[in-house]
Amino acid sequence: MPENGRPAMPLHELHWLLDMVHNLDAGLVIIDREHRVHLWNRFMENHSGIPADRILGQPLRTFFPDLPEEWLEHKFRTVLDMNLTSFSIWRQRPYLFRFPPPRPFTSRAEFMYQNVTMLPLRSVDGKVDHAGIILYDVTESALARNQLETMNRELEKLSRIDRLTGLYNRGFWEECLHAEFRRFRRTRQPATLVMFDVDHFKRINDTWGHQAGDEVLRALAQLTRDSIRTTDIAGRYGGEEFGIILVDTEETRAVHLAERLRREVERLEIPHGETALRVTISLGISQVREQLDSHDQWLACADAALYQAKREGRNRYVVRPCLDCG
Amino acid sequence: MPTPVLICDDSSFARKQMARAIPASWDVEIGFASNGEEALEAIRAGRGDILFLDLNMPGLDGYQVLETIRREDLPTLVVVVSGDVQPEARERVRRLGALEFIRKPIDPERISELLDRFGIRLEADTTARRDLTGIESEVTDFDIYQEIANVAMGRAADLLARYLGVFVQLPVPEVRLITHDDLAGLLPDAHTEITAITQGFVSGPIVGEALLLFEEAHAQGLEDLLPELDCQAGEIRMDAANLLIGACLRGIADPLDAEFGLSHPVILPAGKPLTEQIRPFVRALAFRFVYRIEKHAMECELLLLFTEDSLPALSERVEALHA
Repeated sequence: MPENGRPAMPLHELHWLLDMVHNLDAGLVIIDREHRVHLWNRFMENHSGIPADRILGQPLRTFFPDLPEEWLEHKFRTVLDMNLTSFSIWRQRPYLFRFPPPRPFTSRAEFMYQNVTMLPLRSVDGKVDHAGIILYDVTESALARNQLETMNRELEKLSRIDRLTGLYNRGFWEECLHAEFRRFRRTRQPATLVMFDVDHFKRINDTWGHQAGDEVLRALAQLTRDSIRTTDIAGRYGGEEFGIILVDTEETRAVHLAERLRREVERLEIPHGETALRVTISLGISQVREQLDSHDQWLACADAALYQAKREGRNRYVVRPCLDCG
Repeated sequence: MPTPVLICDDSSFARKQMARAIPASWDVEIGFASNGEEALEAIRAGRGDILFLDLNMPGLDGYQVLETIRREDLPTLVVVVSGDVQPEARERVRRLGALEFIRKPIDPERISELLDRFGIRLEADTTARRDLTGIESEVTDFDIYQEIANVAMGRAADLLARYLGVFVQLPVPEVRLITHDDLAGLLPDAHTEITAITQGFVSGPIVGEALLLFEEAHAQGLEDLLPELDCQAGEIRMDAANLLIGACLRGIADPLDAEFGLSHPVILPAGKPLTEQIRPFVRALAFRFVYRIEKHAMECELLLLFTEDSLPALSERVEALHA
């Protein structure tokens, strides 16, 4: 009886076992301390194009100069010196051997994603001088996972965007306002909020229909997008009301943007069937201050300024320092 | 006087192989026909006392040739040589009057045995090879691919026929080099509802993918064929795909002396045209097979695509078969 206490395997069973190993749907490789190859099964032959009789006894790097030698050596040491099984998964390292994707025509993969297990192999004399490498093709699951993540990102994006205008929706925009407020608390960097809405919007809807109203909102959203910097954050706050968070900007500079936007809206002709619609907007401007307790108060300040602009005759902006707010 | 022997096959490679399998010591005059019409013509002219006949040919196929021979009582003895090795194919040709059925690829031993049975005595040296120089036109790689495809298709059909207990019709497979634009012509119409099962295959430098396509309207028959099996409809299709892809690839691998590793089968997502699911490529070698079970209105299509990078290795393997 051999040392491990198991009865010796009959020859025909050994033959089956070898057949299974050879035809296993995973790569099997055995290497020694010099990284010389001692087993190279059919999976490895097929995917690498290197037949076993050519690579056996040769160091891996002769055939795979791009192999991460240092990494492999490190893993190899763990396996041999500590007698531990070591793993590598595709998320950290997409592959060990660069093989073509298993389905060359219908797969989106550029290569075969691999999970790798490396285990210590004991010799007959009990010494551990060889490591076994098992290579799993996980291309399918890796692609599915990547696709799922892309889709989740898309969904997340969708849930941030207002469908009609393409600007951020109220929920996400308010989150940004909140974040900007917290940032101000930390850094004391200035930021100014501009709220605006369309004058007599109800009249447009009543006269020309809701579709005309939608076109006006879309055109204003486009104009807003074109007028702001990429760091500024514009959202549709509700019905015909919009908000812009101007990051790193003081009131005095925000006024320029507000006035420019007001003039451009005034000049804007929005085609609707045979006619062109014209609208004006009123704006309220408020810079964030230390006296404010919350982003809600900041928003209330800008809103108050906006209503003052309405009261004063519309198509204008009003700057209202937050100190004046209730 | 030498016996006039006629070899009828649409593949020049197959004609050459058949001619080569005829013992050199048999005193014959070999003639060739590349289709059914030509064969009948030659027989009527007395140039085909013995006819080695292929079954699956474009135009007049082997069955129709047999029917004509019987109807017109033409003076010839017919031996069918076919890759279609389904039991029912053998049965059919026997009923149509064929003397014997030899499977492709041809085993020369079988020919000698056969002649022996017919009472045709050969000279002692039956191993000598017939000198064929100058009697046949040039055989191209494509002739060989075509013939390999024929034989592989027959093998796969035989397994499917046994599995389902039916006869499978085999239209002549198509083999050609394609670009991505040609795909639309090879695939079912983009609007038909299909199930596509795909498996990658690889043997060193030879890399490709097998796509088995069931048109929804034509796949129902498959489930009706196996009503007693307690499994999901999808499973039966997967089984059929397994069998057809596996057997067909084996049939292609054997003559090329390759052994393909297969990846796990995947059902491609429905609702997106196949042409869009197949990534762009410049050139590919395509084998297209159609398997039809008429009685049950079942039809499926098997498409084997080899990458452009595989072509040199394929060509090299095929080169060995020319010799």
